[in-house]
Amino acid sequence: MTSLRIEAHPVLEFEKKKKVRFFFEGKEFEGFEGEPIAAALHAAGVKMLRRSPHKNRARGFFCAIGRCSSCIMEVDGEINTMTCITPLKEGMQVKMQKGHGEIKP
Amino acid sequence: MKTRFDAIIIGGGILGVSTAYELAKAGMKNVCVLEKHYLASGSTGRCGGGFRQQWSTEANTRLAMDSVARLESIEEELGYKTEFFQGGYLILAHTEEEEKQFAANVEMQRRLGLNVEIVDPEEAGKIVPFLNKDLIRKATWCPKDGHINPFLLTQAYANAARRLGAEIHLWTNVTGIMKKSNTFFIMTENGDNYETPLLFNCAGGYSRTIGDMLNVEIPVDPYRHEILVTEPVERLWDPMVISFSVGLYARQEMSGGVVMGMGDPNEPVGTYVGSSMHFMYEMSKRFTKLFPKLDKLRIVRQWAGLYEMTADAQPILGPIDQIDSFIQACGFSGHGLMLAPAVSQLLAEMTVHGKSSEVIDSLNVKRLYELKDVVKEKSVV
Repeated sequence: MTSLRIEAHPVLEFEKKKKVRFFFEGKEFEGFEGEPIAAALHAAGVKMLRRSPHKNRARGFFCAIGRCSSCIMEVDGEINTMTCITPLKEGMQVKMQKGHGEIKP
Repeated sequence: MKTRFDAIIIGGGILGVSTAYELAKAGMKNVCVLEKHYLASGSTGRCGGGFRQQWSTEANTRLAMDSVARLESIEEELGYKTEFFQGGYLILAHTEEEEKQFAANVEMQRRLGLNVEIVDPEEAGKIVPFLNKDLIRKATWCPKDGHINPFLLTQAYANAARRLGAEIHLWTNVTGIMKKSNTFFIMTENGDNYETPLLFNCAGGYSRTIGDMLNVEIPVDPYRHEILVTEPVERLWDPMVISFSVGLYARQEMSGGVVMGMGDPNEPVGTYVGSSMHFMYEMSKRFTKLFPKLDKLRIVRQWAGLYEMTADAQPILGPIDQIDSFIQACGFSGHGLMLAPAVSQLLAEMTVHGKSSEVIDSLNVKRLYELKDVVKEKSVV
């Protein structure tokens, strides 16, 4: 599958950033530091970011500006993190959350 | 449109609609509720939604116990789902004084037959896992308390009342009342005039205004009470948690959001129900003090409603001496939803069947005029 990452753009320029490793559901992935987590996942072919709490339907990247909550995931143990606006860091643990997200006591 | 009724109830909150239902059920079918806005648009729809039986005065405890007994079968009786959930109530004692007060409360409540116990911080931590146990000395726990969705309960009563023939007139603001030869003439903003021989005051925070229209003092003062709700998360705990010292209550809705509110002693009298920044900061501080691990919960919405306070924080019920057939059901001091099922039933029995009740007599408005033998309810946030 070809990557969805835009390499060349007629107007915008993309600065090449440092490559970092992160984990999605325990599996290792690669992305660029500082890009949105959801962008890194999308580029790696992961399109389903969670399932809806009531009807268990697939939910993915939608508004991409931190409004709609479609992309919320568990990041480093913190639930309901909007991955479309959260910058990627080295070694991040990204998980699909269960239902509305579980907080452990 | 019909404007003559056997009884008219002012206020379309939980008290108004449940009274209409109970009256119709007891045989008085020609009843009407007049509501200024829409159902549950006042305090009912803005409340925390809890019901508890753990009170410091006997009258309140008795009423609350009857109410819960009734709520247990209400969904079946009214044929409507209400999110009724007996998750319990955990009341936290932080000081020695509170510990003593709670011990006295529990003794009284047990005498009345309530299943309530005093638990130590360890057990309290098991009931509510996120609780900061270092802050509490003891807690009282009643598993039969719980919470309910106020909108759904109001709708359940309203639908059932309508089925029995009662009418509910929404967007009908009462602007004046006159009594002449045993008939109340009620004027409204819409221009319709209503007539009735029997009038109920269930106007919540506006009960004093309704009394003023008939030149009688109903000593009820509205205070703003703010409340907020967080984003939904998976189930954290079942009960409603209250602390009178920290001054908050918090419960998780069936849909997952945590609803929390607090009392503010600096709140002035008035019917203003806007939201304040101060509340959001203060509430967050208090909540995270009790639940330090929940500091990442995001707030999604805040609003405010009116506590209709009386001098002793207990309701005003039954007839008044100055005007015949003017029945009060107001001044619940923030606890109308949880007492309504029992109160409405007692009021209906009183007005339709002439059955007197000790509780209603003891909560007559007279006690507040004289301010003699008034015992203040202490278990109020």
